[in-house]
Amino acid sequence: MSGDVWVYSESEGVSAEVASAAQDVARGASAEVRVVDIGSPRQGIRGSGVRLLLKGPSGPDVSPAVAAEALARAAKDLSPVAVLLGATRDGREAASRLAAKLGVGCMAEVVKLASDGQGVTGERNVYAGKVVAKTRCQFPAVVTVKTGAYPRAEALPERTQEVEVGQVSDRSKVVGREKKAAGGVDLRSAKVIVSAGRGVKKREDLSMLEDLAVTMHGALGCSRPLSADLGWLPEEHHIGLTGVTVKPDLYLAIGISGQLQHVAGMKDSKIVASINTDKDAPIFQASDYCIVGDLYQVVPALRRALSARR
Amino acid sequence: MKIAVCVKHAVDEAELRLDTEGRPVLAGAAGKMSTFDKNAVEEGLRLKSAHQGEVVVFVVGAAESKKTLKEALAMGADRGVFVAADPLVIDALRTASMLAAAIRRSGPYDVVICSEGSSDTYTGQVPPMLGELLGVAYVGYARKIEVTGGSARVERSLEDSVEAVETSVPFAVSVVSEINEPRYPTLVQIMQASKKPIEELNGGEIAPPGTISGVEVVSMSSQPSTRKHVMIEGGPDEAAAKLLDALSREGVLK
Ligand SMILES: Cc1cc2nc3c(=O)[nH]c(=O)nc-3n(C[C@H](O)[C@H](O)[C@H](O)COP(=O)(O)OP(=O)(O)OC[C@H]3O[C@@H](n4cnc5c(N)ncnc54)[C@H](O)[C@@H]3O)c2cc1C
Ligand SMILES: Nc1ncnc2c1ncn2[C@@H]1O[C@H](COP(=O)(O)O)[C@@H](O)[C@H]1O
Repeated sequence: MSGDVWVYSESEGVSAEVASAAQDVARGASAEVRVVDIGSPRQGIRGSGVRLLLKGPSGPDVSPAVAAEALARAAKDLSPVAVLLGATRDGREAASRLAAKLGVGCMAEVVKLASDGQGVTGERNVYAGKVVAKTRCQFPAVVTVKTGAYPRAEALPERTQEVEVGQVSDRSKVVGREKKAAGGVDLRSAKVIVSAGRGVKKREDLSMLEDLAVTMHGALGCSRPLSADLGWLPEEHHIGLTGVTVKPDLYLAIGISGQLQHVAGMKDSKIVASINTDKDAPIFQASDYCIVGDLYQVVPALRRALSARR
Repeated sequence: MKIAVCVKHAVDEAELRLDTEGRPVLAGAAGKMSTFDKNAVEEGLRLKSAHQGEVVVFVVGAAESKKTLKEALAMGADRGVFVAADPLVIDALRTASMLAAAIRRSGPYDVVICSEGSSDTYTGQVPPMLGELLGVAYVGYARKIEVTGGSARVERSLEDSVEAVETSVPFAVSVVSEINEPRYPTLVQIMQASKKPIEELNGGEIAPPGTISGVEVVSMSSQPSTRKHVMIEGGPDEAAAKLLDALSREGVLK
């Protein structure tokens, strides 16, 4: 089978993760990895000998609709065996549209990829993370790679190949953009993650947990409701099925009940410790060390104990 | 305004049993309306109350899926379309092509609403594929939708930002859970729902399978948790000290 494995994400950091995943596919398919830029070249993404620059679309932001159309046009010409995108919100849309345009299968949220030479295989969480499914899709395939599942690829020497795809338009127009509450450190590379759940009563109280995270040289994460429903932290901080996958040395779950969908995103952490007032909270089933107690007492106590030790 | 809402009858993960090998027992597994699809139905009903018209709910799945249609009808949707297909063998693109065919047949619609992702398989792929197959504008992850005449303004909730997008009617959209608070049907509504019409279609007939092999599930398994489950006793200070000791022993404390 000829053809390359393409990598695209609107986010440069995610693109570097997807490039790692692509190496696993390329190895099994005896193919080369090509990191794709659309419109204009970007700096940070490195991960292949040759990168593709799809020329035509203009403007600073490439919407998922534009990305999908540009990728589809180039793919019709160059026949990659697989196109891998990051499973971000925009990435899922671009991948789905691309698969629909090309009429090929689209694997979702894959965490462990490989190739048997004829197609892509990959693992993903289903049924809220209760079950891991091994899935397979014949070449040519489109795949979204779960964010946080792969490390960022190392930089490699490279040259750029340009492909003209022509002007691409989007039926929708972005008319405004507002940053969500300031983000913090990168959860994917953090060795310690202090993670906040609905047990935290007020937004202001998050600073207590953030302070603990900083003292432990870690980062602050959260359960989905804190970002998606309450908007206390940006979406990129939320861990789990619909958020990021993390594998720190220490995951400290504070006031998190431990629903399947949350555990799916942190179950590969080396050590899990949790604090919860409810002795029957499911998070304790997913923990190595369990404290049944009120976070408003235990967190300050932890903070004091840490200062005393340094 | 004609509004289509796609609802999935999802496997209820809380009820799902595993066999002795850790494989899910899917035959006869309990189902429920996919969690965020309640937000999709709610948004359809809100658009209807602002603009008049009709809310039609669509489901692709096995016969039990009609339960989810009835739930949406009880919430207030006007009628339902059931598309028969085996949910275990169809992938997102097949599902989307069946939904697109069913929506075309009873359309045209001004707005097609899905949720961001289904609670059992969460691919997030069906909505954008549907937009693409219907050939209409598509906006994903909406947390606010305002339609004025022939155009719409949608707020998209992204990882680190909120994006305002202008698009034109007709369009397809996926909603996130923060968009609204879904209503609960009353007993009277539940009873009335059984009288609302449900049209039945066959997925294989309205959207004949092409040559695409699609995504297949090779195997499924689950691993039992191998955590230590050490309960740390004592008051806050004692527990905190014991935890830090344990974490240093594990070598995870810097
Ligand atoms: C399709 C789908 C996808 C989802 N994806 C995700 C995902 O990716 N990530 C995610 O996190 N969730 C996800 N969810 C939501 C998930 O099902 C749960 O609703 C969510 O994880 C619960 O968050 P929580 O534990 O913070 O809140 P709750 O479940 O409300 O738990 C709060 C916990 O805090 C404890 N508590 C209360 N007060 C205190 C106190 N003073 N001190 C200590 N403990 C206290 C309580 O005992 C309770 O256990 C998803 C849901 C669906 C349907
Ligand atoms: N079988 C189905 N029948 C009707 N709607 C569906 C079906 N599958 C997915 N959808 C719609 O697409 C959304 C996203 O599902 P998914 O792509 O499976 O994550 C769901 O919330 C529904 O709105």
